[in-house]
Amino acid sequence: VAKPYVLIVEDDPQIRRFLRATLTAEGYLYHEVLTAEDGITQSEARRPDLILLDLGLPDHDGLDVIRRVRESSQVPIVVLSARGQEADKISALDLGADDYVAKPFGVGELLARIRVALRRSAPITDEGTVRCFGRVEIDLDLRLVKVDGEQVHLTPNEYKLLQVLIKYPGRVLTHRQLLNEVWGPNHLDQAQYLRVYVAQLRRKLELDPARPKHLQTEPGVGYRLVIE
Amino acid sequence: VTTPAKASEEFIGAAEASRSPAVPKVPRTAREFVFALCIVGTSTLVALALRPYVAPTNLAMIFLLGVVVIAIRCKRHPSVLASFLSVAAFDYFCVPPYLTLRVSDYEYVLTFVGMLVVTLVISTQTARIQKQAEGSAISRQKAEAARIQVETEQMRNALLSAISHDIRTPLASITGAASTLQSQGEKLQPGTRQELLESIAEEAERLNRLVTNLLDMTRFESGIELRKDLYPLEEIVGSALQRMGRQLDQRQVTTYLPESLPLVSADDVLLGQVIVNLLENATKYTPEGTPIEVAAEPSDGAITLEIRDRGPGFAPGDERRIFEKFYRGRAEGRGVGLGLAICKAIIEAHRGTIEALSRTGGGAIFRIRLPLEG
Repeated sequence: VAKPYVLIVEDDPQIRRFLRATLTAEGYLYHEVLTAEDGITQSEARRPDLILLDLGLPDHDGLDVIRRVRESSQVPIVVLSARGQEADKISALDLGADDYVAKPFGVGELLARIRVALRRSAPITDEGTVRCFGRVEIDLDLRLVKVDGEQVHLTPNEYKLLQVLIKYPGRVLTHRQLLNEVWGPNHLDQAQYLRVYVAQLRRKLELDPARPKHLQTEPGVGYRLVIE
Repeated sequence: VTTPAKASEEFIGAAEASRSPAVPKVPRTAREFVFALCIVGTSTLVALALRPYVAPTNLAMIFLLGVVVIAIRCKRHPSVLASFLSVAAFDYFCVPPYLTLRVSDYEYVLTFVGMLVVTLVISTQTARIQKQAEGSAISRQKAEAARIQVETEQMRNALLSAISHDIRTPLASITGAASTLQSQGEKLQPGTRQELLESIAEEAERLNRLVTNLLDMTRFESGIELRKDLYPLEEIVGSALQRMGRQLDQRQVTTYLPESLPLVSADDVLLGQVIVNLLENATKYTPEGTPIEVAAEPSDGAITLEIRDRGPGFAPGDERRIFEKFYRGRAEGRGVGLGLAICKAIIEAHRGTIEALSRTGGGAIFRIRLPLEG
């Protein structure tokens, strides 16, 4: 298996230092650039398997990099953002970034995001039509959902929502993205309905809906279905 | 470090601006003259009506009464004018011969002089009292400004000592552990290495929380901007518990969140921050292994959320003080004393209330009341 090739776009030397150490230890190859301009050109020139992108770059906003890269490429992008900048995270995700980690972050979290993002771009192997996580089993063909082997009844909207989440396992989805996929583009501002449906799904699928293991909230941003 | 001070100064400035008189001065004097004329006119009409039945000296009392009212309400000039007009009106209408200013009996001169003197004395006194009142208002403002300055000063000192202690301590551990690993890494036992590494990670996390709190507090000093929407409380509690992560490993956390709870109108990130701060507080100040409960119930027009623990509870009088900035409830306090102040600021921005209560059977309860509408 070829080692994944990561383009690091980050100006802070200390952060780059520990990214280098981590990526090397995990067996990834990497190339580093310090500016948004270089990030855009090198992503075209080097065709990396993944871009790690800092949002606070010296020359341009990191969001510009996402916009420019997405004009021509679907390469997975994981954003490094500061805490408390929910608006930036949402913009980054809505522009097409795959995920984000908030600084300061631990290595475990970063690697999990990278793995999920790389999986998206991996060639689709035939996974069959049954998906499982925790106590939950979903048969996409038969539209059947079982918890601990027992069939559970989901309303059509609940099922649709679960279907979208299971399509992107491990990946954060913004309210906008979920509303668009489940209810269509005319309902993008009705996040409270989404929350109510998520709450109902949790009651049906989670052991303790107040401490969900799988259907996790990303406060201010959206939801993430954690399946491992 | 200077931001809280600056915020207070701005606060004083804002108070001064809002105090500037809403009513311009010139119309006020004009209004007083009109008021004086009206009163004199009224006195005259009343005196005329009573003239057939009452002796002129007693009619003078009606004018005197009018003049007293004017002297109390108005500045000096309208008062003096009113007293001269009253004397003239009294003379003209009430002292025979009527409708002339001639006086038949010179005893009335005494009445005139008496009226004038009373007016002057009262209006002078009134002016002095007004001045004193203004003076005391100004000195009260000065005292208030001084108090705020003292508080700002205290806050700055508390902040500095908090920073020097609470930032230096974890920094010292990090520096120590890192330099040990750097210089003796080869010679250390694997267990020791692991311990040092863990302490670096933990202390860095502690620093991060501290800086986050300091930043939040300075941000909130200049007013909190809420991004409110409707949320199931369960979701906000759930992501707070998720954020606490391993900190809750040694704890039995029970949630009581009935399905029937209405949606709350809140800023999810900030309300989540409140719950995280309260949970952190509980883990910090109660013995490991003691349980924590998170419970909510609807109460008329509001939702009540409680975080309960079985720790030592509060020292008497602390229930209020713990919400003050930089106040640390217990001597061995391991924070700067900002967590609860932040909670209070956030909850009040939601127009809710937060209080600390001692729990029957031991322990603490933090009770939040969030109004449903708005």
